[in-house]
Amino acid sequence: MKAYIISDKDYQSAIYNRLYELVKLNLSEKGFQIEHREIGRDEIAFCKGCFGCWIKQPGECTIKDAMAEINNNFINSDVAVYLSPVIFGQFSANIKSAVDRWLPNILPFFITRCDGSTMHSSRYVTYPKQIIIGYGEEVSDEDAQLFEDITKKHRRNIEVLVFNGNDSDCTSFLNQTKLERVGGQL
Amino acid sequence: MSTSKSIVLINGSPKINEESVSGYLVSMLSDRIGTDGGSKIIINVRQSLTHHQTQRDFDVISRADAILIVFPLYIFCLPAMLTRFLEDYYHYYAGSGKIAGNQKVYAIVNCGFPEPEINTEAVRVIQSFSRHINAEYRFGILIGSGGILLGAKGAPFIKTALIKLQNAFDEIKNDSKNDGHQNLENVLININFPRWLYFFMGDRGFIHDAHKNGLKKKDMLRKPYLANEPG
Repeated sequence: MKAYIISDKDYQSAIYNRLYELVKLNLSEKGFQIEHREIGRDEIAFCKGCFGCWIKQPGECTIKDAMAEINNNFINSDVAVYLSPVIFGQFSANIKSAVDRWLPNILPFFITRCDGSTMHSSRYVTYPKQIIIGYGEEVSDEDAQLFEDITKKHRRNIEVLVFNGNDSDCTSFLNQTKLERVGGQL
Repeated sequence: MSTSKSIVLINGSPKINEESVSGYLVSMLSDRIGTDGGSKIIINVRQSLTHHQTQRDFDVISRADAILIVFPLYIFCLPAMLTRFLEDYYHYYAGSGKIAGNQKVYAIVNCGFPEPEINTEAVRVIQSFSRHINAEYRFGILIGSGGILLGAKGAPFIKTALIKLQNAFDEIKNDSKNDGHQNLENVLININFPRWLYFFMGDRGFIHDAHKNGLKKKDMLRKPYLANEPG
């Protein structure tokens, strides 16, 4: 079993270090082989909305940088964990860059989900279970709720937690989440 | 009412050398709000970051009475490039200690999905950004099927949406130039176009573009990182 952790190199605070160690320990104890990728400023380019990953080089970003390796590792993992500072209630720019450039992993074609909402269809039959954990020294309740809503209201099969320094919350969150590849809706 | 206000329009589209819906909206908005004796400056986030002009642009933003942020939805929130720009502006703001409050902030977001409500969380991010820079978030304009505004310019079926959009721009114009603080609701703009036809035309458009690059529809389904995955 393989777990891929993606984190922000530029926000290495005490709370981040604690969170990272907690996640690493929990996944190691469950038998996961862990690979960790930190993303710093300017290490990967911003998505430019060209749709080349759909119409020129399907499934791969046309920008040649580390994102090809990140997407390859992501798809070939059982679990992908994003550790992101909560900035204005969403991901930091470094993590959002990796999230935006995840687009090659889905297809352009529109579908209507069971609840009537619109989404793009899946490129792969199964994906790693995605876990998103936000952190920060002073995350307001409003920003924490927004961080959760951005993902939970729009995407399926992804779990979200905002880590406020309480180790047991994080541990029970990870223990309650089924850590294996998932199929079906994005 | 005071009319000599300074307004900054921020174009948050990450596209390079390609016409963008956000650029089109900035242009429409700029024409609509005029200046009325005040000043109006357009900042392009990509150019600002690429040409290392952020300090100059942050100075401009810090002095503005109204900040209008126009951007496309990327994976259900702000594009990373705009996130970087706002994150850096926040550090500039926090480090300067000299920026007065009372700035008004507006968000204009467009997405490719038909439902304008999908933009709600992105607008909430701008609301949070406003809180962090001690500015006053006023309201947002949430646009669904944004691509149609560019792709079907002049078509009769977008007329109603355009009128609603212009009315919302007028509301920004009036609100940004007075000192009122009454609550304003977000404005949702959807194009009156059959959902099934929008999906059909969207899919056909991507297939057509892929054909131009020598690809067939089955090539678009490639699985480069899991080539042997069944299904």
